[in-house]
Amino acid sequence: MTVLVLGIAMFLPLGLYVTLENLQGMNLRQEEWSSVTVFFKSGTTETQVRQVAKQLEVRLHPQSVRLISPGQGMVDFRDASGFGASLDMLEENPLPWVMQVSPPPGSTEQLERRVAELVAYLNSVDSVELTQFDYKWLQRLGRMLELGRAVVSVLILLFGLAVVVVVGNTIRLDVNSRAEEIEILALVGAGNAFVRQPFLYSGLWYGVMGCLFALLLLSLSLLYLGRPLGLLLETYGTVFSLRGLGGYKTLWVLLGGGMLGWLGAWISVQRYLRLLRVGGVLGRK
Amino acid sequence: MIRFERVSKIYPGGNRALTDVSFAIERGSMVFLTGHSGAGKSTLLRLIMILERASRGQVIVNNRDLGKTPNRLVPVIRQGTGMIFQDHKLLKDKTVADNVALPLMIAGLKYSDIRKRVRAALDKVGLLDKEKAWPLTLSGGEQQRVGIARAIVSMPPLLLADEPTGNLDPGLSRELFAVFREVSEQGVTVLIASHNLDLIRETRKRVLVLSNGRLADDIPASDQPIT
Repeated sequence: MTVLVLGIAMFLPLGLYVTLENLQGMNLRQEEWSSVTVFFKSGTTETQVRQVAKQLEVRLHPQSVRLISPGQGMVDFRDASGFGASLDMLEENPLPWVMQVSPPPGSTEQLERRVAELVAYLNSVDSVELTQFDYKWLQRLGRMLELGRAVVSVLILLFGLAVVVVVGNTIRLDVNSRAEEIEILALVGAGNAFVRQPFLYSGLWYGVMGCLFALLLLSLSLLYLGRPLGLLLETYGTVFSLRGLGGYKTLWVLLGGGMLGWLGAWISVQRYLRLLRVGGVLGRK
Repeated sequence: MIRFERVSKIYPGGNRALTDVSFAIERGSMVFLTGHSGAGKSTLLRLIMILERASRGQVIVNNRDLGKTPNRLVPVIRQGTGMIFQDHKLLKDKTVADNVALPLMIAGLKYSDIRKRVRAALDKVGLLDKEKAWPLTLSGGEQQRVGIARAIVSMPPLLLADEPTGNLDPGLSRELFAVFREVSEQGVTVLIASHNLDLIRETRKRVLVLSNGRLADDIPASDQPIT
């Protein structure tokens, strides 16, 4: 029963953690969303545009700079909008030179900083009319993931505490049921360490088994959710498969669970030993 | 080996168990402690085991003042003292051999040494054939002998027994006393609290008589007119 309770308690933060890890690992086309579109003032010449692009490359080392001439822009617009006939009626091409700049790849925080630098620089150029970037939603997602990570940290702390309390309570009952045995051990010369030892092993065992159960629940959940989620994302053109914790992190989880169980047992037994005064005059205080 | 100097023990609530008790016991001797119920026999043994601390006076065992012994050293002192209880204090879910092995396990001996010494101790009390038995399947006398085996297995220099023949018939009691005498002859100091005056007379050893918490008499060996 204790292992079951511990497993469920640990499954919640672990599940949330794996969800966040998977969200971060998704192909969000970050580079595409973080690119900045620059609209030049009408009348800006190609030479001026290329000079701005060159200076930009020297100063901020963007990953790519793509220039779109008014003519190319018109062709693209014609294809995308379906207003071909109407556009033919225009006497001259009203579209300006456009430049698409992608910052060098990096983490969400790095991209955010680099986009801000690009925008600040481009806005200071006289020939630039407008800069536009679609980074905001990615920024929001980044913030949400950050919030999620903080929530996971709090949950890990809370449920870690729950593990300590649950194991501690189980061990307390165990210790109480073996009070006579502990007294006999103390009478024949057992010190606190000797009395504590089996209970600490029990606590460690409870923690590890609870973690194993939580990992089992996690694997079953990923197995169950993987297929429908994959099908959903396929409709958005993203190929995705859910990832579990991986061997290294699994090992850490087991180790952490074991240590928490050990800690719970230690607190519980220590409290009892102080009460019974095994190391000294026997009998409850 | 054991020296009591004007030792008094007053329990919380004012119950005076011992008053100004003084005596000394030589290393390797066998001494009986007797007196009526509530005379303070058990309290005196509990002071030597540091299950209680004296309210006044000094309890000195092996030149160590037990009143000044810190709690962390108490297990070490107890490891050097074999104690036999009237109610045996055996672990019911462990076999006879496991019960006897406890002091050696606590001392951290190797398994092979433990097995050898447990068998030797059980042989000494005549229970070698019961090493795999459970305590509850044994008679009272056999359980008491398991208790003795556990007390002597680590070959402590001091053996204390609190009413070891309390629930036993005279024949079994005589057998147990013979074991104590044998242990004492090997150089172990033995202090036995007992009501059994007939057996004490037969044994012809030194007797300390307690009455109302005071040492009423100290009868040396070979002079046994106890009334």
